[in-house]
Formats: sequence, C-alpha cells, structure tokens
Amino acid sequence: MLEIKAIDVFRGEAQILWNLQMKVEKGEVVTVLGANGAGKTTLVESILGIHHPKKGEILFMDEEISQKPPYLITQMGISCVPEGRRIFKEMTVYENLEMGAYPAKARPLLKTTQDWVFSLFPILKERRNQIAGTLSGGEQQMLAIGRALMSRPMLLLLDELSLGLSPKITKGIYGTIRKLHQEGVTMLLIEQNATMALLHSQRGYILETGRIALQGSSQELLGNEHIRKAYLGM
Amino acid sequence: MAEFLMYFTNGLVIGVINAISAIGVSLIVGIMRVINFAHGELYIFAGYFSYHLSLTFGLSPILAMPLSVFFIFLIGILMERLLIRPTYGDEMYSLIITFVLSIVLQNSALLIFGPYPNKPPALISGSTQIFGLFHYGNQRLLSFGISIGILLFVFYLIKKTWFGKSVRAISQDREMASLMGIDHWRINMISFGLGAALAGSAGVIIAPIFPVTPTGSSAISLTAFVVVVLGGMGSLKGCVVGGLILGILENLGAAYVSTMYRHIFAFIILILVLVFRPWGLFGQKT
Repeated sequence: MLEIKAIDVFRGEAQILWNLQMKVEKGEVVTVLGANGAGKTTLVESILGIHHPKKGEILFMDEEISQKPPYLITQMGISCVPEGRRIFKEMTVYENLEMGAYPAKARPLLKTTQDWVFSLFPILKERRNQIAGTLSGGEQQMLAIGRALMSRPMLLLLDELSLGLSPKITKGIYGTIRKLHQEGVTMLLIEQNATMALLHSQRGYILETGRIALQGSSQELLGNEHIRKAYLGM
Repeated sequence: MAEFLMYFTNGLVIGVINAISAIGVSLIVGIMRVINFAHGELYIFAGYFSYHLSLTFGLSPILAMPLSVFFIFLIGILMERLLIRPTYGDEMYSLIITFVLSIVLQNSALLIFGPYPNKPPALISGSTQIFGLFHYGNQRLLSFGISIGILLFVFYLIKKTWFGKSVRAISQDREMASLMGIDHWRINMISFGLGAALAGSAGVIIAPIFPVTPTGSSAISLTAFVVVVLGGMGSLKGCVVGGLILGILENLGAAYVSTMYRHIFAFIILILVLVFRPWGLFGQKT
C-alpha cells in the first residue's frame, strides 16, 4: 500500500533521513521506533507531503506522492493523528469530526462514519457540543483519532500516540487500535513507547539518526537484545 | 430626546457598515496573517465604481451596487494571486506590499476619478417617521437593512458552510487544516476576495449617504483596524459590537462635542482598549 523508496529528506540545510526504505502492506499495523531526533516526525511529515524528499520516491497505491501537497495526499486516503494531537481547539467536538470528513469522498458518508467513531469512543458522543479545547488529554487524543478516521483513510499514521497520557489511558487507546486493526484499517505507528507499539503491530522498523537500523517482525524486535536495552528499558 | 435618538440611529447605521468593513479586515488577518492596508482604497473604489456604473454607464443603482462589489472581489482575488501569495511566510513583506499598494491605489483613484467627492444616486428617496419622534432618510434605513442582510449572510457563511469551517480551521492551525484535505491556497484566495468584497460592500452602501473621495481611504482603513482591535482579533461578534460602539460614539461625539474631533474618539477608544484589554472585547487572551 505504502512504499518508501530510498528517500533523502532535508530540513533546511540539514539532512534528516538518509536513503530510507520501508513498506506498509494493506491491513498491516507497522511500528516505527526511534529516540528523540531520530527523524520519526520528519518521516511522518514526508509521507504527508509537508516535506518533499530530494531523492527517492514515495508510492501510495502505486502512485508517486512525494512531491504532492498535503491536501491532495489526504484526499487520496492517508490521514494522520499528529504528535500533540492538534485538534481545532476553538471548534466543537462535532465540528472537529466534520473537518475530518472534508475530502469530497468522505462527505456523503459523514453520518455513518460518525456513528462508527461514536461507537469506538462513546465519550465523544456525550461531548459532541463541547468546545474541543476543554476536553481532557485522553479525550483530545480520542478526538484526534476520530477526526482522522472521519476521512475514511486507507492508511492511518499515528504519531506519538501515548505522549503525555497516563498508562491507563494509553492502554485504552491501544485497545481501540487493536479494534481498528480487526476492522481492517492499515496503520503506521510512530512511537517512543516501544512495548505498547510492538505488542499491537506485526512488523517494526528501528530508526536511528535518520536511517533504518533494524527491521523485522514485532515478535523478533521485542526479543532483540539491543532493542530491549535501548528502547524497552529492560 | 428626539435629537439624541437621531444621532444614535446615525451611529447604528454607520456602526453596521463599520462592522462589514472590519469583518473584511478580520477575515484576512485571521486566515492569512496579512494586514491589508489597501482595505480603504478598495472601499473607495467600490464607491466610485457604483457612481460611474450608474451615472456614466446608466445602469440602475440596484445593479450597479452588486456589480461594483463583484469587481472589487475580482480585484481582491487578483491581489492575492499576484502580490500576496509570493509573500506567505513573511508577514513583513505582505505588510509593505499592501502599504505600497494603498498609496498606488489612492493616487490612481485621484488620477482616474479626480479629487472631488462623488455620490452615486440613492436607491430610494423620502423619509420615514420613526416612532413619531423624528424623520429619518429612507436611503439610510435601506442601507441599514442591506448591511444587516450582509452581516447575517457572512455569519451563516462562516458558521455553517464547508467554506466557513475551513476558514476557521485554517485560522487555528494552517498545517493541520491542509492535512484535513483543505486546499488552503484556494481558500486563501477566495477569502482575500471576500475580504475585499466586504470592503467594497461597505463602500457602495455608504457612498449614497456620504460621498467618497480618494483621500478618505486612509481614515476608512484605520477605522476598520480600530474596530478589529476593539472587538478582538478573529472574532466576528467582536467586529459587530466594535463597529457599533465606534459608530455610535463617533456620531454622538460629533454631535455633542465637535465634528472636528470625529476621528479622535476612535483613537481614544483604541488607546483605552490597548491599555486595559489588549485582546479586545471578544478576543482570546493569549
């Protein structure tokens, strides 16, 4: 579904991603692990079209997207839950969800998708007329996921899902990720919280200073000595 | 008492027109972080357009008014596309460009339309007795009605339509809005056109009451900026309340203190707001 072919990405003068190669197949949940500054967010932003690689290609559904603007990439079916959630704080919960359904394809399905999102996160239904900025951190994360789902994405990028959330809420959110996987949503998890991400994915990539240092099935990675030391703190 | 009410009504009429003009500024600041110093010139041009369309080209004023606004809308679109778009990301450039443009447009207006005040024909004549207290010009009452109509239309547009929601999303988080699939280039362009069209609407509405002159444009821009700051950046409600407050105070001040000082009141208010409530009446404290 998504194929990244040897991309070099720069932020200003500095090269952040080096010859990066990775793949996400339909229906898969794939984790990208990496420490701060490894280039995780740049990777997400390159897929979304915020940064354009100087070299290499990004193929989505066999179409080259690496030079397209973000709004076209979203309309093609990639959506994201960004780091720090970035919900529209001055709008209501309901309006935030509506914004998610902005792409022309998603609009006619707005009602049904919304019912689906409300069934995943009943609390959002309760708070639908509340201003989004007044929600708690966990609720905002749910809203960010709900908003991303509203576009009926083929691929969902989740950047630092557990950042700033209590272990209990993180567990709940990952419960939803599991449910989404069962419903066939393809996801790319970008995480620092390695254990949770690897437990909920099939494959993983380890990103170190802008390069893929290691890849394999999540099972393997969970058992890998280097990863246990560097990312799992064991 | 009747006299006071008449001045007050004048203030209301000018107030809603202020509000329309200020919403034009606020919209553009809110989404693009661009302050359009040429706002007043667009307003003046609209007044001249409607004058010439109806008197030189013999169009009915009912047609001349919306047509002038449409021309200003197109000018706004053109401005965004040619001058503002290359400056995104650097607010200083757009500030300088619109400032220079305001001078260019003001002088073009002098050249094209001449220095004399022009007044397009009124849509209706006569007056109506208000509550048996005073006679009030029908043209002013009609202007008031049209202005309210425009304000309701803008509120509907911003609160209820996809366009309006994307405008609000962009003004909160531009990048996130584009990740929702919103083509912010297009929305920027249309919004700039709309902001210009609102300046134009205010211009064609006021022109039959107060004639327009090329040199009057700076005061119009300033009034719009004062209203935006008074109401609070990015608040439509603020523009309406701010516009009304300013309109009423200016008219009462001009009537009871001195017409000479009409514009001073605006700046006294501006200073007071900046000192005591810098985020404006309805703005968000940051």
